[in-house]
Amino acid sequence: MSEVLARRDRALTPEETEELLRDRLGEQVGSSVQEYGVFTLWIHPDGWQEAARVLADEPLLAYDFFDSLFGIDAREDGFDVVAVLYSTSTGNRIALRTRCEGGREAPSCPSLTDVYRGANWMEREAYDMFGIEFPGHPSVEPRILTIENFEGWPLRKDFHLASRVAKPWPGVKEPAELDEDGNVIEREVRIGDAPGPYDLDKAMADQARQRNAPAIEEAEQDEDTSPDDPDTPAEVATDADAAAGAAAKAEDRRKAQADARAAKAAERAGADSEPAEDLDQETYDQLIAEGKSERIARSKAKAAFIKKRRAQERAESEGGADSDDGDEGDA
Amino acid sequence: MGLMDQVELPQPVKYVFNWGRKYSLWCFNFGLACCAIEFIAASTSRHDFIRHGVIPFAHGPRQADLLVVSGTLTDKMAPAVKRLYEEMPEPKYVISFGSCSNCGGPYWDSYSVTKGVDQIIPVDVYVPGCPPRPEALLDGIIALQDRIQNESLKDRMADRRKDPITLGADAPLALGSSS
Ligand code: SF4
Repeated sequence: MSEVLARRDRALTPEETEELLRDRLGEQVGSSVQEYGVFTLWIHPDGWQEAARVLADEPLLAYDFFDSLFGIDAREDGFDVVAVLYSTSTGNRIALRTRCEGGREAPSCPSLTDVYRGANWMEREAYDMFGIEFPGHPSVEPRILTIENFEGWPLRKDFHLASRVAKPWPGVKEPAELDEDGNVIEREVRIGDAPGPYDLDKAMADQARQRNAPAIEEAEQDEDTSPDDPDTPAEVATDADAAAGAAAKAEDRRKAQADARAAKAAERAGADSEPAEDLDQETYDQLIAEGKSERIARSKAKAAFIKKRRAQERAESEGGADSDDGDEGDA
Repeated sequence: MGLMDQVELPQPVKYVFNWGRKYSLWCFNFGLACCAIEFIAASTSRHDFIRHGVIPFAHGPRQADLLVVSGTLTDKMAPAVKRLYEEMPEPKYVISFGSCSNCGGPYWDSYSVTKGVDQIIPVDVYVPGCPPRPEALLDGIIALQDRIQNESLKDRMADRRKDPITLGADAPLALGSSS
């Protein structure tokens, strides 16, 4: 490492890195992709060790820091292994990704421990979680992250959680549940809505609702400025019955408001998707004259246009039932 | 303990003896996750459980009377808790602090989390919450001290265990209390 040529000011670009690697490894280097902000190179398992060695030893690259290594469950295709490398001299980061040989039954991937000693425990982790073997690794047994006699590979997608078998997940699943037609079921979570299997949860939810009723009322007063609203926070009675009534009322109102908001949002989305003619020409010309770039001028002109239109709308709807004030807050 | 666990002490002596025991609980903190932060908060000047006679940070399990398990116990860690518990001298008490150590908490379906410390060691007081406030720990400590005051050391040593106390289990919910 004495003749490291790499420096931050003349670090290779990802494309150059790929070219260099392709030059050294030939067919072993697959496609490249920018994933999650990291330049990722697909490597054939046969060239896995060699690729890491080139990246580590090549003076122009000098990837001297082994950042991390982990497995990915690629469903039917088996398992992937990703190694992230970092160069302390050039500041570049690169991810190498390979598909393990052996499919789902016996995934295996050459070990990087000869190149980076730090890969040792990370490969053990990948073994613990996915059951990927690393030929060339000193020893992946005994398991370090799970108990030693743990059975199965917990991060595989087909791993069954024992507790979930006994009791299904009580709430909305992530990312989303679909109804029969394949549409996403949308739920607006509110205070006390947390899904829970116990009566205690229910009791707590009721209490939380009652306790929060005045607060909700107040918040709505802020949002909804219509003058014909009869409720005031002071009117929320202190005894439980009245509080429950207030809570129910508040709920109804919240629903109505959510509907109105959704309608408004849809309206606004519709307005936004119109072609870009809603520019304020004056502002635009002026900014261009000032020597601003076209993009900046365009965005500023658009903002100015929207502002003007809002002002206009407000002027029109003055004295009307609903003003937009509450809405701008959550825009 | 020699004589103590053989003989039932006469009432006045027992009273004084238990009074002394309940106000000098050396506490061994088994902090495992977020709840440990609340435990630490309970030991610092604002909540300060030394004023209740709980002395935090015993030098080791062999000097401790009270074990507070605060945080997420994993299967990997379970043998360590069991072992440290067994190193403690009798009579010893356990407070399970927080949902995780009570029952697994938010990780009830995890592959690696033990569903409650009571699966490996007997618990005297359960403090619910995720995390419980330091006041809840103080509440748990006082509940434990009440039990120590009224117990017979001989009985305790004979059957080691009593039914655990679960804070808030029979009391009406205190959510609506004015703040
Ligand atoms: S009960 Fe909640 S706060 Fe306490 S350790 Fe578990 S997750 Fe953390």
